Amino acid sequence: MSLLEINNLSFTYGTGTAFEKKAVNDVSLKIEQGEFIGIIGHTGSGKSTFIQMLNGLIKPTQGQVLLDGTDIWANPKQIRKVRFRVGMVFQYPEYQLFEETVEKDIAFGPQNMGLSKDKIKERVESAARFVDLKPELLKKSPFELSGGEKRRAAIAGVIAMNPDVLILDEPTAGLDPRGRDVLLSQIASYHKSSNNTVLLVSHSMEDISRIADRILVMNKGNMFAFDETKKIFSRGEEIEKIGLQIPQITKIMIKLGKKGYKLPSDIYSVDQAVYEIMKIRNSQVSKKKG
Amino acid sequence: MLKEITLGQYFPGKSFLHKMDPRMKIILLTFYIVFIFLTKNYVSLVIMSVSVLGVLFLSKVSPRLYFKSVKAIIFIVIFTSALNLFYGTGEPLWQWKFLKITESGINTAIFIAVRIISLVLISSVLTYTTSPTDLTDGIERLLKPLSVFHIQVHEIAMMMTIALRFIPTLLEETDKIMNAQKARGADFESGNFMNRIKALIPILVPLFVSAFRRAFDLAMAMESRCYHGGEGRTRMKVLKYTKYDYIALAVLTVIFVGVIICNLYLPATLRSGM
Ligand SMILES: Nc1ncnc2c1ncn2[C@@H]1O[C@H](COP(=O)(O)OP(=O)(O)O)[C@@H](O)[C@H]1O
Ligand SMILES: [Mg+2]
Repeated sequence: MSLLEINNLSFTYGTGTAFEKKAVNDVSLKIEQGEFIGIIGHTGSGKSTFIQMLNGLIKPTQGQVLLDGTDIWANPKQIRKVRFRVGMVFQYPEYQLFEETVEKDIAFGPQNMGLSKDKIKERVESAARFVDLKPELLKKSPFELSGGEKRRAAIAGVIAMNPDVLILDEPTAGLDPRGRDVLLSQIASYHKSSNNTVLLVSHSMEDISRIADRILVMNKGNMFAFDETKKIFSRGEEIEKIGLQIPQITKIMIKLGKKGYKLPSDIYSVDQAVYEIMKIRNSQVSKKKG
Repeated sequence: MLKEITLGQYFPGKSFLHKMDPRMKIILLTFYIVFIFLTKNYVSLVIMSVSVLGVLFLSKVSPRLYFKSVKAIIFIVIFTSALNLFYGTGEPLWQWKFLKITESGINTAIFIAVRIISLVLISSVLTYTTSPTDLTDGIERLLKPLSVFHIQVHEIAMMMTIALRFIPTLLEETDKIMNAQKARGADFESGNFMNRIKALIPILVPLFVSAFRRAFDLAMAMESRCYHGGEGRTRMKVLKYTKYDYIALAVLTVIFVGVIICNLYLPATLRSGM
């Protein structure tokens, strides 16, 4: 049984009004325990709407979400339990901070779960460690932190609930390149050490290709593709056609391929590219010699 | 969702009414309201209500929206009409214990219902066909003479514009914050009164923080574009009366004069003062 099974999921905003808008259209897929899934698509392609259905923040207009085989809406009174198991970090999560101290804010989720004081303290400390927040910051007001620190504190607030599935909606938006790299590697190492499932929404292929096992490509509310990262990039040109950027190195490889060089089409890291180019070069050099 | 609440909403369009100057619309609306309450007999009441329907038709806004705005006040209408129905004087047409219905009661009830409904409809026309910025612009222009009394008309109008502009933004923001806290297990729906009040803190604190942040950002942006209040400020879009305004003025003058004549020469159905 898959951890998450999504069947024919659709969502329409403003049904019956002049502003009716189908944001997600008939998406079906399965996600296994421990996977790292990247979700990519244009602004307005329905990524945020899609993920909000996975933890019951919005109720699908059609289709269902099965968590461990049970429909999450089977018992609407228990929807909070689903939200504890499927943790959601929204875009610009720092705007949700409200407590007097960072520590109390991170503890908000675990408190709502009804954990004991000791347990909460433990959760807060380990969550802060995951996102690399220094212990002395925990006693500060969240409004005194820097932008990047606020962001990490807010993410810690969700990690502290220890959800089986962690969903992050464009967590690197608005960060500088260094802050982005640091946060991505923290998320990657959280995934590795906790062995929890992670869903990362982004509109940067460059970011996602580095860490995701599988990638879901959304286009205008539809599932355009859902496959292993490697296989997604072998369709690089198709993906460019729907207006998404593919990693620069993949673009170069496609262009070289068109010039007649025999290169695999699923390259998305510089190391792979160097390896493949060197292979061709070496064979040419040895041809000349021979 | 919160976003779906309609608040004096504007529906862009190209109708006759959309093309009118907001000042003329405000002035004529004021007269409309006065004349709706001046009607004294059925002929003038019919003239006014038919002209209201004509205006609705000209606005090209979906009748569904007008139904919605009437639906919102229908209970008030029924309640006040029903009350007046039993308050008439003269020969009772029907009586049950102390409740009696008279001809004058019926008349008053009808007049009140038609007047309130017309009032709501004609006011909705203004907000449906005038963008908030045009509306405050018009108000500012009309109130300009008050600056003689050192009332800062421009500042008041600017505040109104900004407030209107930010209502949808703040509603959207509230929605987002609520979702973010729900994702952390916040519960707004259960518990006793005190618990529910407490549950609002995680929404209100971020909302205020963000409202202040937006206010500072906006002030900064306005200042860096050299905004310094109304003095000496010229406009990109200068309000100008066009043929649409003169046509509307002429037609409505005829209607208003008609109402006055009816009131003067036909017997009054209502006691004066009603
Ligand atoms: N609260 C809402 N009300 C109405 N329409 C919405 C709302 N949120 C999103 N939409 C619309 O749904 C579509 C998908 O939006 P979204 O899921 O936010 O896309 P993404 O996260 O990929 O940018 C967009 O066209 C957007 O305008
Ligand atoms: Mg989004």
